[in-house]
Amino acid sequence: MKLVWFETVKTFSRWRTYIGFSVIALIVIITEVVMRLSADEILYRMLRSLEKDFLISGNVLNGWFVTAFIMNSLHIHIPFLITLVAGDMVSSEATSGTVRLLLIRPPSRSRIISAKYITTLFYTAGLVLFLGLLCILLGLTLFGSGDLIIHHYGRFGVTYLSEGEIPLRMFFAFMAAIWSMMVVASIAFLLSTLVENSVGPIIGTMAVVVVFLVMGNFPLDFFRSLKPYLFTSYMTFWQRFLDDPIPWQEIGSSAAVLGLHAIVLFLIALGVYTRKDIKS
Amino acid sequence: MIPLLLSSGLVSGQEDGTRYLDGLERKYSGLKDYRVDVKVHVDMEGFKAPDMQGKLYLKTPDKMKVESKKVFLLPKEGGHFNPFMFKKEAFDTRLLEHITYDNQKAVKLKLLPKDLKKMKQGFVLILDIESYQIREFHTSSEEREVRGVIEYGRFKGFDLPTRIELHLDLQFKESFAFEMREFGQSLPRERRVTGKIEISYSNYKVNSGLSDEMFESPREGK
Repeated sequence: MKLVWFETVKTFSRWRTYIGFSVIALIVIITEVVMRLSADEILYRMLRSLEKDFLISGNVLNGWFVTAFIMNSLHIHIPFLITLVAGDMVSSEATSGTVRLLLIRPPSRSRIISAKYITTLFYTAGLVLFLGLLCILLGLTLFGSGDLIIHHYGRFGVTYLSEGEIPLRMFFAFMAAIWSMMVVASIAFLLSTLVENSVGPIIGTMAVVVVFLVMGNFPLDFFRSLKPYLFTSYMTFWQRFLDDPIPWQEIGSSAAVLGLHAIVLFLIALGVYTRKDIKS
Repeated sequence: MIPLLLSSGLVSGQEDGTRYLDGLERKYSGLKDYRVDVKVHVDMEGFKAPDMQGKLYLKTPDKMKVESKKVFLLPKEGGHFNPFMFKKEAFDTRLLEHITYDNQKAVKLKLLPKDLKKMKQGFVLILDIESYQIREFHTSSEEREVRGVIEYGRFKGFDLPTRIELHLDLQFKESFAFEMREFGQSLPRERRVTGKIEISYSNYKVNSGLSDEMFESPREGK
């Protein structure tokens, strides 16, 4: 625990750790303020189909909708912010020349790498929770609360969720988003153990995420057949908590696939780090 | 021979049905306004929702408003009852046939709007001519087909709906905000959806003197 604490203090004393939080704060504030100012346009565009056939009353453009909207828009970009820290976690010791000093100390390499990994996950969770809390608090302040009308995942149509059940569903959705981002953090962490600079893991991780996303969504049968084998296909499973009914079985299998990825990536990182040659 | 054929009902499809709309208008001539609690139960393909509750305000001849603290959707076609929407001046009315409906004498009328700019689609009504109740209506266009069945209760001397069951077949488009859920995935953007919507009406307050101003305010909350 002490090691984890040291790593956490070390991580949060670096200015680059706060880049992610600052970028998220900036994007969320700008997006929500612009959405507030463009509320009429947004409502027109989101409701024009429904309004042809229905009279609509109540607060449709509310804080919950805005939160889901931003989450949908940002889940491609958050991985980049995670890699900024996760990709630097191990390689920064080599860059700053402290790796030898660190590894000749009593704690075993496996304890050191585990502490760094836990800190990486802690940062990842912190970043996603920060996004969630900021979206919700600012959203509810600017737009108020209300029921959530949202597209039904992967199928045609919309789902209507009552206001009362949204906070719990959002909580689960953000927990699931943290779980998804753990895999991204684990890739960056693994790459960080392989190289001695931070740029490689950041670019490498983003390359993997982007290539997998493109392959998984390319409208050709060959790529469609690859989709189940790409971890990025499961990363949006947080959205399923906003479906009705919640597809627990699919959520469970997605969480298991992603969890397995994270464990395997960490074990590889552990293996690499414990065998790392620091003499040369 | 020809006069005989004309009066026999064989060509009753050509008969003017305006007098039946007249009867409907006369029956509700004393209705100035009403407010009512509405409960909407949706059972439609692609639309999952719990029962929605709201208040409906109607002032004759054509003012209407819905209010709800929660998000509330009410079908435009057939979601509210306004006997004055079938004004005889607005339609070419044809009597299609005389029928018996629930052991009552009824007529099937075809209403074609005179001003196609104001109203794009016509209606077929089944009108009970013993009580002058619209029992069923049907309207269709390229974008939607709606069939409604109405059950009535008596409130302050007026027959007003206690339940309307709508059968819908709609052309439904998803909006941009709903499409952003999956990166790059092409979802079907437009298709026809079918289903049923049941609307229950309770706690009528008839002719309570609703002011015009309350219908002028912008829709709340949005």
